[in-house]
Amino acid sequence: MQPCIQAKEISLTFRPKNREPVPALKELSLDVGKGEFVSIVGPSGCGKSTFLNILLGLIKPDAGEMRLNGTRITGPGQDRAMVFQEFGLLPWRTVIGNVELGLELKGVHAEARRKRATDLIQMAGLAQFENHYPHELSGGMKQRVGLARALATDPEVLLMDEPFAALDAQTRDLMQAELLQVWERTKKTVIFVTHSIEEAAYLSDRVVVMSARPGTTKTIIRINLGRPRDYEMRLSAKFNEIKAEIWSTLKDELMGRRDDNGV
Amino acid sequence: MAFREMISEYRRPLLGALSVVGLMLVWEYAFTYVLPLDPFFFTKPSLIAAAFKEQVLSGALWHDVAISSKAFLWGFSLAVIVGIPVGVFMGWRRRAEYILDLFLTALYASPLVALAPLFIIIFGVGLTGKVALIFLLAVFPFVFNVFAGVKCTDRLLVNVVQAFGGKEKDIYFKVILPSTLPYIVAGARIAIGRGIVGILVAEFYAASEGIGFAISRFGDTYRLPEMFAAILLLMIVAVIFTEGLRKLETLLAPWKIGQEAR
Amino acid sequence: MTALASFYREREQPILGAGFIFLLILAWQSLPAIISLPRGLSLFFTTPVEVVKAFYRLVVANEIQSHVYVSGVEFVVGLALAIVAGLPLGLIMGRSKTLDAMLDPFVTAFNATPRLVFLPLLMLWLGIGIWSKIAIVFVGAVFPLLINTYEGVKNVDRVLVNVVRSFGANEWQTMKIVVLPNSVPYIVAGLRLAIGRALLGVVVGEFFGASKGLGFMIASAATNYKVDVVFVGVTIFMSLSLILTHLVKRVESRLSRWRPDVVKTF
Repeated sequence: MQPCIQAKEISLTFRPKNREPVPALKELSLDVGKGEFVSIVGPSGCGKSTFLNILLGLIKPDAGEMRLNGTRITGPGQDRAMVFQEFGLLPWRTVIGNVELGLELKGVHAEARRKRATDLIQMAGLAQFENHYPHELSGGMKQRVGLARALATDPEVLLMDEPFAALDAQTRDLMQAELLQVWERTKKTVIFVTHSIEEAAYLSDRVVVMSARPGTTKTIIRINLGRPRDYEMRLSAKFNEIKAEIWSTLKDELMGRRDDNGV
Repeated sequence: MAFREMISEYRRPLLGALSVVGLMLVWEYAFTYVLPLDPFFFTKPSLIAAAFKEQVLSGALWHDVAISSKAFLWGFSLAVIVGIPVGVFMGWRRRAEYILDLFLTALYASPLVALAPLFIIIFGVGLTGKVALIFLLAVFPFVFNVFAGVKCTDRLLVNVVQAFGGKEKDIYFKVILPSTLPYIVAGARIAIGRGIVGILVAEFYAASEGIGFAISRFGDTYRLPEMFAAILLLMIVAVIFTEGLRKLETLLAPWKIGQEAR
Repeated sequence: MTALASFYREREQPILGAGFIFLLILAWQSLPAIISLPRGLSLFFTTPVEVVKAFYRLVVANEIQSHVYVSGVEFVVGLALAIVAGLPLGLIMGRSKTLDAMLDPFVTAFNATPRLVFLPLLMLWLGIGIWSKIAIVFVGAVFPLLINTYEGVKNVDRVLVNVVRSFGANEWQTMKIVVLPNSVPYIVAGLRLAIGRALLGVVVGEFFGASKGLGFMIASAATNYKVDVVFVGVTIFMSLSLILTHLVKRVESRLSRWRPDVVKTF
């Protein structure tokens, strides 16, 4: 069966003005199956977010191909949606105005938009805050809005760029559990970028460890924990083993960069 | 006690009102019972109030106000129509910024009123000269505030709109414009002050009508209470517009936008 | 990449900016050579070269020096008085809630109104000599100084004040150690605005009822259709404004280095 997402030898170099070119990705290949939850971890600057942006269609790779269900990705589309680390909510729109954004740009009529947005806000548990502004919400609530917005257009693929990094530890745990519930229910394909090994192991079917810059896939580790995942699993010996395995792969990349004179 | 609470909550405006009233009382008392009132030099609140009532309520001053307002509105509207697009253009296209910034900054920093006599000589003392001067003075705050607003548009939000399939026009209308709106209002607030300067300079210098003319005419004929009344009228108008716009700014922008002298 | 291309890339901004201005001046100078102006307009027209020549004439005749001197005195004295009055008042208003509340309506009202409106009154009281001009400069410049000082004092971090207080500092010491240093960037910003207003005051004050000064020179030249002299005056004011503002901006950015990035509107 054809994988949902196919990345074939993606390469990209940044060429900033007045500076040395920076190779970001080098021949990165990855296949993701439909409905899979895949996390990407790697050292800082390895290109994880860049890869996500290429998937989103905002950046074009210098070489290689990115395909979704067999068709090449050439730009943003309604089959993919992103949840951003800094939320990216329009401050002058209310919660419901923000959730409707994707539908609005898609050309959906006001009545249908509103209904769908209201449903999603309800599911996110934010019904009372429909007409509030982002600056009145906590970090966790803002990210729920971000997630609701991304789900509003019913994309096939959910791209998540360190979505919980700006939240405190407790909210983060809560949001992880919620995300898993949403995923179980909606069966989206999820690509989740994170710095946290624990988060990656807890959430995913597979964890991709990227090499240091220029980034490429180093190791892919299958997470053999049952679903649905619950909090107790995080305390088990097996979970620690998995974390150790990911860490040992990652460690080399982090250490290797000590000799690098880059950051 | 509820009264106590009320006092402490409204302490600020209460003290303010008290000091204004207090000043008026001291002023009136001083010139009625203590100091001699030389009518060529001073006046007192009761006379000002009478003159205000007479001038404003009888409509004598309204004609002048109408003349000045007409010129002001024309000049101000032109400033808005020209200033905002130029500001957006400079903010969004880097080349445009590079080319225009130096030139426009130099103009903005200069006392452009120095050109007023020239404008009067060229355009005459009628509507055209006033409108030209007001336009020249009021356009810059719009250009620069809009420019600043567009430049500090959150790139993340532009990416968000693009990520959800937005095109160029979506970016303009859904991100840049709302984001810049508080800056436009701030620009309007500053432009109003500068526009009034323009109107006053034009009318002090060589005009036969308008509120600036009225003020200087009252001064020439030593009609001090009327002069104070006209100044007071202008002050009221200026405060209403400036503070009104300031309130609008805070309404539109829960996030802080700038550090600047009020 | 060739050396010329990379040279351009580095300095694109100033090159385009200065280049544009240069082209404008060039266009201005060559305009009469390209189109023949209608009789009426040529009366009001002058060229950059004419302006330079007029400047030279005025310098040689020792005329412009006295005008510059008079305007300079008005500017400096007015600004100095504004600083002397505005800074302490802003400091006190910032620290004393009561005084702040009492003076607030006056400050708001006078700040919203262009100070120019008081010119006829000031001339009535102080005559057409140098003092009415100093007064209008003062009235124009004092408000940005006062308000910015006030904002600087008010914006001081409560936490820092408490820290210093906890070490036993009294009001005066608190001012010196925390409040004043925190306010300096604001004050300098206020000075930058005040300079602009002060120059404005000089210009406009001298338009009406003066016999000396650059503003007077501009006004009387305009009446006599000596447009080149008008532009000499305007250019001098422009240059002064640019130089002074630039100097203050330099000082301002040096003193603001510790502040988190704030967007500056104008």
